[in-house]
Amino acid sequence: MAESKEEVDVLVQRVVKDISIALKRHPNIDEIGLIQCPEARYNRSPIVLVENKLGVESWCVKFMLPYVHNKLLLYRQRKHWLDREALVDITCTLLLLNPDFTTAWNVRKELLECGALNPERDLYLSKLALTKFPKSPETWIHRRWVLQHILRQFSAVAHKTQQRVEAEQPDAERSQFLGSHLDRLIHQEMKVCSDAACRYPSNYNAWSHRIWVLQHMAKGNIKVFRDELSSVHPWVSMHVSDHSGFHYRQFLLKELLNTELSQSLSSDSASTVFCPSQHQSNTVHSTCPQANGELSLADAACRDRLTTVFKLFYQETELCADLIQSFPGHETLWSHRRHVYYLWHHWRQDQDLCTDGRENELKPTCINEPDGSQGRSVNRHKHVSVPMEVDRVSLPDHDSKRLRRGILLPNLLTLQNEHTFVNSILNSCCNAEQNNYAVAYKKWLDTVISAQSLDI
Amino acid sequence: MMSAQLKDVIIKPDAPSSLLLDKHADYIAAYGSKKDDYEYTLSEYLRMSGVYWGLTVMDLMDQLQRMNRQEIIDFIKACQHECGGISASIGHDPHLLYTLSAVQILCLYDSLDAIDVDKVVEYVKGLQQDDGSFAGDKWGEIDTRFSFCAVATLALLGKMDTINVDKAVEFVLSCMNFDGGFGCRPGSESHAGQIYCCTGFLSLTGQLHQLNADLLGWWLCERQLPSGGLNGRPEKLPDVCYSWWVLASLKIIGRIHWIDKAKLQRFILACQDEETGGFADRPGDMVDPFHTLFGVAGLSLLGDEAIKPVNPVLCMPEDVLQRVGLQPDLLS
Ligand SMILES: [Zn+2]
Repeated sequence: MAESKEEVDVLVQRVVKDISIALKRHPNIDEIGLIQCPEARYNRSPIVLVENKLGVESWCVKFMLPYVHNKLLLYRQRKHWLDREALVDITCTLLLLNPDFTTAWNVRKELLECGALNPERDLYLSKLALTKFPKSPETWIHRRWVLQHILRQFSAVAHKTQQRVEAEQPDAERSQFLGSHLDRLIHQEMKVCSDAACRYPSNYNAWSHRIWVLQHMAKGNIKVFRDELSSVHPWVSMHVSDHSGFHYRQFLLKELLNTELSQSLSSDSASTVFCPSQHQSNTVHSTCPQANGELSLADAACRDRLTTVFKLFYQETELCADLIQSFPGHETLWSHRRHVYYLWHHWRQDQDLCTDGRENELKPTCINEPDGSQGRSVNRHKHVSVPMEVDRVSLPDHDSKRLRRGILLPNLLTLQNEHTFVNSILNSCCNAEQNNYAVAYKKWLDTVISAQSLDI
Repeated sequence: MMSAQLKDVIIKPDAPSSLLLDKHADYIAAYGSKKDDYEYTLSEYLRMSGVYWGLTVMDLMDQLQRMNRQEIIDFIKACQHECGGISASIGHDPHLLYTLSAVQILCLYDSLDAIDVDKVVEYVKGLQQDDGSFAGDKWGEIDTRFSFCAVATLALLGKMDTINVDKAVEFVLSCMNFDGGFGCRPGSESHAGQIYCCTGFLSLTGQLHQLNADLLGWWLCERQLPSGGLNGRPEKLPDVCYSWWVLASLKIIGRIHWIDKAKLQRFILACQDEETGGFADRPGDMVDPFHTLFGVAGLSLLGDEAIKPVNPVLCMPEDVLQRVGLQPDLLS
């Protein structure tokens, strides 16, 4: 057993090399872990590769960590010289053992900045560290820095491409390459986030990283947001206690809502995803032709968007109701219901949408245009009981400013409907927790939502 | 149908129910002496905050004189860098988190002149971004925690006017959620630790009126579980440190009476280790200085008179803040 200082030196240097070689030779390693093994086995490396898992035998960690730790700190104080290769190897071992050692990540940032390290290698190293330490804040922080570093490189390349375009040498291939590279990066991040979310429940750092990725790498890309909403659907259904996962859905809904709104006001190529009949105008309002009540393309586009928004909320409310009934007593699910209802409620207020005055009556509610006109509902007395049969109305061919773009909505997602839902839970429930959460939700509707309804 | 198991702990009848102050002081006094411990190496990246936790809890128990004042001040001096920022330990890189901890420690010791204060101010100021947010260090990570660190450091140094406070406030408010809480960045989930930082930030900048105190108070109160302990987010286990963050936030927004104080006190006391001294996150777990500080500070906020009164915004003894001349706002 290595005990003397010289023996420890030799041992640690060998293990640091073993780890570095293993990672280089086996780029498919997808997990790291500690192998419980209190004693060294003679003449055998404590680094073990089983399938795609890299294991470190536990006996050597107590030698390794202080050694690489001190070595890096001496280097940082300029008391000990290390060349670039040694720095890469030492920080790698150090971070796999103690990924919250900020300064070690910073050393790697410097190596990345001077081109001595490829950013992809750090995405790989931090991904491995997260398999053992899925919460590690410093690892997530480093990942964000590396991603921004890559994005900066992208925009430098894009800028060059742009210059070439101006010199009439278009380089479409190159920008296409950048686009697909970005897609691949986003996809990889989502995978890293969901792995970490599976390894640790309500993993705040993983889910807030996922939000960051969307905000910084997929801004305005409605397709990515929609794909995310469907891809986490099965996950949240299987993790009904994971508040962070549900918060992520709330974030997606809110962003989709905002994008819908902003795209109702300005044309945008991304809107084709939602709205095949894309309009070319800058603002819908200024160009909506009224003549003869013909639905313009813009009107149709707006109507489609409203339908889309309604569908989003309807489906989310249904998902939530299903889960609340199947898994009684989960605070997460009730909290999700609050948030979804709150978003919907505010969206309607912001839109200055009118309902037919009283929601209590079983009448279809109507969305009117946001011009403040006191619209009557487009009350066609259609059957509204069939879920998801959102009416795509053909407007009457007379009239009217206030009817244009109006769509009929079933009497769902109303305050009354929420009360009906809670009451049905309270009447049928024999779970004390479920009962408490239902009562709290009712109280929340009565105080928070009702108070805000009085504001307008 | 599956029924959820409520995520909470059961407090055993034989759990500690009285405050073991002497044991805690012994525990903290002994903690720093095991310097070549493996665990000690593992946590060196946050040493400066560790020292702040230990010294603050000692001061709250009126035992600060047992710690080695000169050694600690020399250590802090050695951790200040050219840029003015302070690192967690010698040879580590400077960061706002440890800059605040160092300034807090020097306030406890009334020794701010040990470091170059002007350079600290420059460092903090230099980390403010165009949108008002603060980066934690020169590498640019943004988090509302760092907004708190920045204004808390400057408030203790009496230099709040060196940054763009309006912009800083604007950024923190952009992180407010529908439930009245705050997350680490705009759009992020509400989290008790982040809420503590943001309410503390708004207190120090005189902007508590911008909060929806009733809504936030509602969310904070829902953190209390049947055991009396508080968690930091829905369906997480209760924890002594989250108990502090939630309780301190409630105190700042003037809603501390909205929770069951007696039950919370019972939970915190049950997290003591009668053998070793110190507090753990939950009854029966391993103790550490971090939870020991927040256990003792929580009991102080709940009115335990054996402990000095603690300030809810800065988690420092009130008498120290009086000496510094800082009285952060609280809502009534
Ligand atoms: Zn804790």
